[in-house]
Amino acid sequence: MRYEFKLPDLAEGMVEGEIVGWLVAAGDAVVAEQPMVEVMTDKATVVISSPRPGTVLELGYQSGDIAPVGTTLFVLEVEGAAPEVSPEAPSAPAPGDQTTTSRPKAAPKLEAPAASAPASRAGDGPAAVARGAGKAVATPATRRLARELGIDIAQIEGSGPAGRVTQEDVRAHVDGKQRREAAAPVSPATAHAMAPLVARRTEGEESDKRVPLRGLRRAIYETMTRSKSTAAHFTYVEEVECTNLVQARERLRAASDAAGVRLSYLPFIAKASLLALRAFPKMNATMDDAAGELVLWGHHHLGIAAATDAGLTVPVIRFADDLTLIELAARVVDLSDKARRGRLSPDESRGSTFTITSLGRIGGLHATPIINHPEVAILGVHKMEPRAVVREGQVVARQMMNISLSFDHRVIDGHEGAAFAQRIKTYLEDPDLMLLEMR
Amino acid sequence: MAETLETRAVVIGAGPAGYVAAIRLGQLGLEPVLVEKGELGGTCLNVGCIPSKALISASKLVHQLGHSSEMGISCPDVKVDLAQMMRWKDGIVGRLTGGVGQLVKGHGGRVVQGAASFEDAHTLRIDGPEGERRLRFEHAIVATGSAPASLPGFEFDGRSVVGSTEALAWTTAPERLLVIGGGYIGMELGGVWQRLGSRVTVVEFEDRVLPGFDKDLARPVVKRFQAQGGTLLTGTKARGFRALKGGGVEVEVESRKDGTRRALEADVILLTVGRRPLSGGLGLEKAGVALDARGFIVVDGAQRTNVSHIFAVGDVAGEPMLAHKGSKEGEVAAEVIAGRPSAFDTSAVPAVVFTDPEIATVGMTEGEAKAAGYEPRAARFGFAGNGRALSLNDAEGFVRLVACAETGRLLGAQIVGPEASNLIAELGLALEMGALVSDIGLTIHAHPTLAEAVMEAANAVSGHAIHAPPSRR
Repeated sequence: MRYEFKLPDLAEGMVEGEIVGWLVAAGDAVVAEQPMVEVMTDKATVVISSPRPGTVLELGYQSGDIAPVGTTLFVLEVEGAAPEVSPEAPSAPAPGDQTTTSRPKAAPKLEAPAASAPASRAGDGPAAVARGAGKAVATPATRRLARELGIDIAQIEGSGPAGRVTQEDVRAHVDGKQRREAAAPVSPATAHAMAPLVARRTEGEESDKRVPLRGLRRAIYETMTRSKSTAAHFTYVEEVECTNLVQARERLRAASDAAGVRLSYLPFIAKASLLALRAFPKMNATMDDAAGELVLWGHHHLGIAAATDAGLTVPVIRFADDLTLIELAARVVDLSDKARRGRLSPDESRGSTFTITSLGRIGGLHATPIINHPEVAILGVHKMEPRAVVREGQVVARQMMNISLSFDHRVIDGHEGAAFAQRIKTYLEDPDLMLLEMR
Repeated sequence: MAETLETRAVVIGAGPAGYVAAIRLGQLGLEPVLVEKGELGGTCLNVGCIPSKALISASKLVHQLGHSSEMGISCPDVKVDLAQMMRWKDGIVGRLTGGVGQLVKGHGGRVVQGAASFEDAHTLRIDGPEGERRLRFEHAIVATGSAPASLPGFEFDGRSVVGSTEALAWTTAPERLLVIGGGYIGMELGGVWQRLGSRVTVVEFEDRVLPGFDKDLARPVVKRFQAQGGTLLTGTKARGFRALKGGGVEVEVESRKDGTRRALEADVILLTVGRRPLSGGLGLEKAGVALDARGFIVVDGAQRTNVSHIFAVGDVAGEPMLAHKGSKEGEVAAEVIAGRPSAFDTSAVPAVVFTDPEIATVGMTEGEAKAAGYEPRAARFGFAGNGRALSLNDAEGFVRLVACAETGRLLGAQIVGPEASNLIAELGLALEMGALVSDIGLTIHAHPTLAEAVMEAANAVSGHAIHAPPSRR
């Protein structure tokens, strides 16, 4: 019989997913839990597995298509009479999976020993692994791997001879679990994507936890690792006097308010960066490490790093250089709102060619921003505050702000990066200059 | 008030469970304190495994020298200097126990002499040669081991009724030795003194000796024991004894079948009716540590007691009371204390009996496999078909493997015969690796070795052992 698998909403607020690639083709026989298709949401790329064994009859979309939630992703020919349509969230972790992720019961108090014996040898406590037979067939090294990963090996179906659980099985189980959990609807409570997997006591502490990296956090982990392990970060810090910038914004506020757009400093910084990028095309680039080529982009897709409950997200203003100041302001407001609510479309969350990161009032003095791989430069913006500076031999108070530019020293020389930062500083210290170059 | 020591981890008892735990803790950087009231090495090294094996080897050599005329060797006048044999044995013990202390210290541990008892869940009192001291600890591992169990009417007195410790130190062989308890300790030590000239009678309550093992495994041992002049009284209860005037004892035994009683005379009674955990006198109740009905400390798979920072390993933490099980538990407890996700989750604990011939088992017997829901397929290969066994003039016994008929996976192995104690290691590894019997059968085993019998037994399970008559299956 036919079984239609419909795209579930993999994350709260998700309306569609982009088909990154199919892992099966029509006519293929598939087993339960077999990975079928990679779908990219605004939060993460997720591999969707088949909930049932069967034969692939048809694929609903081509790679690159945008599939709305609830539409048929693929159709299987399956045995038996079962629901013809996938339930609402087939990729959610099965209740059985919870057994390995459940929190341990209240741990015994250190100083107040219980008088009674544990109910069994495999009783309470996170480290209480059952002894003896009746367990999965697996080598000692594999069993240790499972323990280290916090997995109950008995939950894993072995692929080896006589059902032996291999190290690959354990790793695949962990990956599948992460995907399933990443794919599970994200409620506000779990939006941190950091549910404790195993909380085992160490050193008598009851608060220690092991937090698995899943979903967005996993993606951040991988991007940051890739960036730090490839790019040769050079961070250049300069201070910017913002007296004129503050006045410019004050002058324009009335007009922007009338247009219904909140005008922050970020659009000015974005504009200054975009104008500087025009003069320094090497900064608006990405590294193709495999080809050993620096790709200089003709367009300017500006990434604006945003803190969300789920973690660092970088919404992207496409063709930012074509936008006016007030259009940039509107896009910044719109995208950061969408990012916070997890509603970015795929186009709005990838493809940036240069990134700005700003922590606003908690921006600190300076930092060493991590380049948004595979880009080659990122601009960090710090807090603006009155500081004592020397002007014409006199100590005076001025609105000051630091900028930290990190760039990939492999492809950008120090003086180039410095000149680029100086160009931005020039625009910000004298925003009127930007008028000369605005399109 | 004497000094108060502090440590992140204390280990009580320096036997093979405790000293291994201490070394592992040291390796993991916890700078443990190891407290021992007696000798480092515990029962195993001092008055158990090691000295008994020394005497077993020596006594087997004595026996062989007198029974090798077939090989053209006759030694009509084999002189045995028991005092020297004991010194040699003590030398081995000394080397091993000395090594324990060095290893512990070498890994950053500290050895403290004295008897430890808990004052509360984080304090020990240690009474030793340096007086009474307090030790404050974050974690404790109890590894106090076990001691020979006694029998009503047969209390240990060091003269008429002795335990294994005394029987490992005699410098003259008793003429008539009565062993009560035909388990592995009784049969091993009974065998030693039989080969060294004693007339040995073993009284066993159960219907056969070595009741923990399959009957066919015990049979070659029984046969050889009796052939060498030993007497086995199975299904027999020892009721009591009285010391005789001219020395020696008279023991009253009763047949469990028909109730008939008889008196046996002997020079000394060796009581080997099992071991009991040493969990008393430690103040465990002050720390809140729970025991089971038999006095074992209750632990989970991480060796943790009901008190989360106190662990127990080795004999005191439950059956089987085997050194290698205790050592593994010691490692696990140490790793758990160091924050590692360790657990005692091995597939099988091998058991070895150094009788003549040796017995070794690992995993399930055919009966246990059935009880566990498997459809087992078992086959054996006799050492009579093994060239190396014949050339050792020791070709009694067999290797038996038990496999799951459906998948071919090895479930267990039993060996009786020459070097069974060493041969079992391969099968322990095979079990842990989840090997199929065909994995074993397809592995080339060097010729001519005893291990070929393992390969042949594996092929016998598959129905095609080479050096065996056509399968009867």
